[in-house]
Amino acid sequence: MLRNRRRETLFALALVAPFVAIYGLVFVYPTIKLFMISLTDAPLIGGGNYVGFDNYTRLASDRRFNTAVWNTAYFVLITVVPGTLIAFAIALGVNRLRGRLQAAILALFFLPYILPVSVVYLLWDWTLNFQFGIAMHVFDLLGIQRIPVFKSTAWFMPAVGVITIWWTAGFSILLFLAGLRAIPAEIYEAAALDNAGIWSTFRRITWPLMWPITALVLTIQLISQLKIFDQVYLFSTGGRPNDNVVLVYYVFQRAFQSDQGGRAAAVAVVLFIIVIVVSVLNFQLTRLSGGRSR
Amino acid sequence: MPNWFRLTKAVLVAGSLMASAAHAEETVTWWDFLSGGDGVRMKQLISDFNAAHQGKIKIDATTLEWGTPFYAKVQTSAAVGEAPDIMTYHASRIPLAVKQGILQEITADHWKTMGLSQSDYAPATWDAVTSDGKQYAVPLDTHPIVLYYNKDLLKKAGVLGDDGKPKGMDSRENFTATLKALKEAGVKFPLGSVTADGNFMFRTIYSFMGQQDGELMTDGEFLAGDNAKKLENALSVLADWTKEGLQSTYTDYPATVALFTSGEAAMMINGVWEVPTMTDLAKNGKLFDWGAVELPVIFDHPSTYADSHSFAIPANKGKEMSPEKRAAVLEVMSWISKNSLFWATAGHIPAYGPVTNSAEYKAMEPNATYSSLTTNMIFDPKTPLAGIAGPIFDVMSNFFVPTLNGEMEPAEAVEEIKAGLEDL
Repeated sequence: MLRNRRRETLFALALVAPFVAIYGLVFVYPTIKLFMISLTDAPLIGGGNYVGFDNYTRLASDRRFNTAVWNTAYFVLITVVPGTLIAFAIALGVNRLRGRLQAAILALFFLPYILPVSVVYLLWDWTLNFQFGIAMHVFDLLGIQRIPVFKSTAWFMPAVGVITIWWTAGFSILLFLAGLRAIPAEIYEAAALDNAGIWSTFRRITWPLMWPITALVLTIQLISQLKIFDQVYLFSTGGRPNDNVVLVYYVFQRAFQSDQGGRAAAVAVVLFIIVIVVSVLNFQLTRLSGGRSR
Repeated sequence: MPNWFRLTKAVLVAGSLMASAAHAEETVTWWDFLSGGDGVRMKQLISDFNAAHQGKIKIDATTLEWGTPFYAKVQTSAAVGEAPDIMTYHASRIPLAVKQGILQEITADHWKTMGLSQSDYAPATWDAVTSDGKQYAVPLDTHPIVLYYNKDLLKKAGVLGDDGKPKGMDSRENFTATLKALKEAGVKFPLGSVTADGNFMFRTIYSFMGQQDGELMTDGEFLAGDNAKKLENALSVLADWTKEGLQSTYTDYPATVALFTSGEAAMMINGVWEVPTMTDLAKNGKLFDWGAVELPVIFDHPSTYADSHSFAIPANKGKEMSPEKRAAVLEVMSWISKNSLFWATAGHIPAYGPVTNSAEYKAMEPNATYSSLTTNMIFDPKTPLAGIAGPIFDVMSNFFVPTLNGEMEPAEAVEEIKAGLEDL
């Protein structure tokens, strides 16, 4: 059959056009616009004068930006790898259960994930509030000094990290479970015939076969934790927002509190670049190490 | 054909009736951020207004989230011509709003139409809605902070004066002595303070600065001259109370109110907007005998931080306001100002002088007791950086929490605040 390549191309273009148009409108155009605004002294609404790279150069000596970068990095460090490992461990455990019990336990672990962040905030504030938190009464019983968890800089990030892991682990667990179920039972039977122990079965079979899933979870976690905002915003309200500030929060402060659209855009661009660099790096690293172990 | 004729006539009559109704009734879109006990009272005022202006003006009100969400929405919607016809506004946010060009001026003609004038307001209140000699809002109230106290506990500790007010309101030593007496009488927290919320403490600390004639901003410079020292003094007072165990630590806003209403804290510094909470509890017999007075004089003279809820008209871009609509909006502002006696039940002090001078208002308690402080009010510094949920609020509050809870020395906090303010 003769094919009309020109017509096919046109047809293909017509099919992708709606997507390209929407993608261009809601992603490409705003991104380009963001770069342009970051070179001006624009307020939140309306245009501004061109100021070159001033908004970027001043970030170097901006103390709050510094704090934001370090806090974000710290948060990623305490959530991404630990969160992934914990989810993996829970998935391994849930995978050993059968039938209704498995479904029930899985539901329990998945439950926090469906909560909106505001509810998560209220639950934990209710637990850890310095004056009325239920955890504080437990502390009193045990004779431990009460800790103002969300009001001290030392405790804030670790606490928000733990809460975030508790909140989001459900989704990672699901991904890991799907991966575990995809490993054929025959492989484990063969290993059992070869007299392999639990540890070597895990190290030689489960871990390498699960690596693509682990890499995926790590990447998803990394990107979402770099963009952390809601939890930090809610838990630091009224307390010490400028000491617990993270990058997206800093963008928000500059744009909506200080009415400095240009400076906010510059920070957003920096975050954009960080996310791209880190995720490409992460993807390459996991690909390389995955290739070696196979 | 008689049927046809009758039908046509009916349609015509109905049509003209609808047209005249549509012509006569002007709908005023209204946004506010009042969601607490005061929100309930504002809704009552609005429905009273609608009832009094049946067929002429109708207010269509929406309540939005207080603080940054409200102001971000106003700003973005004014830029695209979708802002309401009238909105509530904090006087402290007016300098920023004027810079952003989102408010319409209230001209001399408008004031005349409303039947209101400068002489109806306290000078500080009038000044708070003025920017470069022009007015941008109609003040509805002033809402300062006051000292709430539990008369039962104070009497037990022997620190309730014969006038029904706490003893030791005239100096730092005497007030601290009152707190200590309460502590000795077995009160867990003599003073309930919102020590976990620096935003809130800004009000108390700024009041104490005002008692020493301190200024946050002098000719565009932050904490110039000895103002830094005055801020340090203010912080030291509160930090010392914490050190001596006279004040609740790491307590957030709802917890502070709960500590006071449950009798664990004998006194509390909080906004007048908590008056309805106390009134309602007392009415149901669930509260002790309570009172509210102007803040104690810790330094040289009385001074209290206040802000003002006011009415403003947004400058809708590309959308001219019709004269009929403007007249309706002015009538709304005028009517509610003149009927703001009811607003006083929300705790706020009405800004409109004839209301606070009325016999009815003077009979209201504890409002009448603390309303004397209007002569000692100080407002935020006039800069686009100030105001509710503004950057100054943020920078300062960040260091208030560690200082007030004994983690940081006041002097160090002042240094950090100065550096943080200069970063803006």
